Amino acid sequence: MLREYVKETVKRGLVSLVRRRIYFITMVVLPLLGAFFFLDLIKSGSVEQAPVGLVDLDNSTLSRNLSRHLAAMQQVSVQHQYASFDEARQAVQRGEILGFFFIPEDLSEKALSGNHPTLSYYINYAYYAPASMQYKGFKTITVLANGGIAANVMQFMGATGEQISATLQPIAVHTHPVANPWLNYSYYLNASFIPTFFALLIFLVTAFTIGIELKYGTCRQWVERAGGSMGLALTGKLVPQTCIFIVVGWTIQWMMYRLYGLPLNCANWIMPVTMVLYVLANQAFALTVMSLIPNFRYGTTVCSLMAVIAFSVCAFSLPRESEYAWVGGLSYVLPARYYFLISVDQALNGIDLHYSRWYYAALVAYTFLPWTLTWKLKKECLNPVYVP
Amino acid sequence: MRKKLRIGGWFGDILRVSRKEFYLSFHDVGVIVFFVLLAFAYPVLYALIYNPEVANDVKVVVVDDDRSELSRAFTRSLDATSEAHVIGYAANMEEAREAVNEKECFGIVYFPEGFSANAERGQQGDVVLYADMSLLMRYKQLLTAMTDVQQAYCSRIMTAKLPAAAGGGGAIIESREVPIGNTGRGIASAVLPAVLILVLQQSLLLGIGMLRGGSRERRLKNGGIDPHDVGGAVGATILGKTVTYLIIYLLPSIYVLFIVPIMFSYPQNGNPIEILVFLLPFMLCASFMGQSLQVFVNERESTFLVLVFTSVIFIFLSGISWPRYAMGGLWHSIGNAIPSTWAANGYILMMTDGASFAQVKHHYFMLWGLAVAYFIIAYCVERFICRPRYRRMRYYDAKSPGSLLREEARRNGLG
Repeated sequence: MLREYVKETVKRGLVSLVRRRIYFITMVVLPLLGAFFFLDLIKSGSVEQAPVGLVDLDNSTLSRNLSRHLAAMQQVSVQHQYASFDEARQAVQRGEILGFFFIPEDLSEKALSGNHPTLSYYINYAYYAPASMQYKGFKTITVLANGGIAANVMQFMGATGEQISATLQPIAVHTHPVANPWLNYSYYLNASFIPTFFALLIFLVTAFTIGIELKYGTCRQWVERAGGSMGLALTGKLVPQTCIFIVVGWTIQWMMYRLYGLPLNCANWIMPVTMVLYVLANQAFALTVMSLIPNFRYGTTVCSLMAVIAFSVCAFSLPRESEYAWVGGLSYVLPARYYFLISVDQALNGIDLHYSRWYYAALVAYTFLPWTLTWKLKKECLNPVYVP
Repeated sequence: MRKKLRIGGWFGDILRVSRKEFYLSFHDVGVIVFFVLLAFAYPVLYALIYNPEVANDVKVVVVDDDRSELSRAFTRSLDATSEAHVIGYAANMEEAREAVNEKECFGIVYFPEGFSANAERGQQGDVVLYADMSLLMRYKQLLTAMTDVQQAYCSRIMTAKLPAAAGGGGAIIESREVPIGNTGRGIASAVLPAVLILVLQQSLLLGIGMLRGGSRERRLKNGGIDPHDVGGAVGATILGKTVTYLIIYLLPSIYVLFIVPIMFSYPQNGNPIEILVFLLPFMLCASFMGQSLQVFVNERESTFLVLVFTSVIFIFLSGISWPRYAMGGLWHSIGNAIPSTWAANGYILMMTDGASFAQVKHHYFMLWGLAVAYFIIAYCVERFICRPRYRRMRYYDAKSPGSLLREEARRNGLG
């Protein structure tokens, strides 16, 4: 008898997957396309060559020397030289450049007479990532300018090159950005955004599969065919999807770690296993929502909202300890947060599994959560009320 | 009564479609949630999430093999910066690494032996920063703190040693950074304007999708006929609906574009009238785009499945977090075809950078171009895909009544 029930429910789950294109698109095409989108968009990994302008009112040997240095910078790319401050400012307002370097007319005169002229750089902080890139480039130029002049004076006084650099910079900071020495932006963004995008689709598909039974009022029959067991009915519906999602998830990981070369500093089996737990946790999350709010539209709305704000609250850019407490707390409600922390520990830093134990515990806990609530969903299924 | 009001012809269709669309929009809770609640609540939620703007007091641990006056002073100054917070000393690197792995801190500052002796003897004293790279912002903050402290100590040591001519009294050439537009350098003020535009576009797309889902469901139940369908000409139907959406969105737009920036003190340098005029073609685009994409929506709730994910893609294409100049040609061109790209960048230039209308005319013309293109697409979708479908639905239902619902259940694997 049990075998009959299992057969019935799994068949029901599979048939719906095959007959509607929307499942193939949202479960296979969109996750893979989304992963390709993020990986390919950011494949260069840096926002170098920010378009900037130059205003040189001094037009001296010194200022021309500076402009040459500026033109050779990696961080910025000089698009145009403007005749005045106003012209450059207007080019920023037209969106042609994102900032400009301003050399005042008395630069070399003041510099040579020891009167401390000021170089200014104007940066449009409406575009954040390019702004910090420009800051780095412009700052380097001004440091170089100073160093150049100081070195000239010291050389004139008979100091050697080594002495010069030690005197100009008696303390040097050496930075070791562990596991990402190139400061590759793609490592962050893709390690967090691609799984979160995947979670969005898992949420929606899971909520949709359950909701559609409620909507057409076929849920009573669905439960009855499973011998009155809500657990069996859900398993039959969701397990075929779990299998597809896991294979898609592995493909995404293959794209990330093999095709696009994101760092994978742990044993090869760790991330694929994590993906299995992640898929289950996300399905369970959506199932929990649908059990708590057994209504197609409301349940799906909550799922969409949680999935979309996951991109912002899961502390992928602003650290959790800097967020408001309720935002930080919210981030711990979502499986995406734990997957991200695991991927940092394991794939990026390659530290011992022991340190990620709580994150794994959380992912596994999600999977058990909804089974304590399915009675609520069952009640709704036996007496469905469709609210448009 | 109705007969009297009929103005006849194409323009009459626009009026009738528009009036019916008002009725449908305000009699559907789901649509109201998208058109009104989403537009009102989402910007606030988002702004609150990003309100802290930066990470302060990023935790670091210090390993000091030098144990000198200078290294201790350096550590104290580092702790005093707003960016970094020293949680304490570790006996050795092993212990420090353990602290990082347990997430007690996110960086290690290491003073090797001979640090202060080298710095004072005229050789270079090295201090090493090991940073956890899970988040770029933590690394940036630590780097800023380290560099600031380093420069302070460098100039202190240099002042004692260098002749004034070589810049002993500070830099020879001073430099200053002037932030323009977003003068507070806040990440929220940079990201939110684009989000605001996206909220307008996406809520409209979702609402249109849900309206269309409702209409199709009515057709399924009524033998392929939607009792609320006015049956206007194709172009007039599209325009009529658009008129309705523009009117409904007037208040939400003013709230989203002008009130939210006041509430959270984002830059407000634009002329509101100019901005509204600038965004008129944008709202047209969004309406036509919604009426093109509606073809993928089969029931009210599949709106979520079909449209929600596009928000994430569109915000990236707009270039607000990953600049457009760093995108490949393919993504750049796709971005060009999305209304929010032009609208968001134009809105940012006007609102944040104080650009005048004339300065964003390129964006404005692009939006009109897209409006025309999306109107043509919406027209073709309605004329060549949707209407023939309705005819087929009526045909099948006439042949065997109730077959539409049965077929729908069969396709969903139900029953």
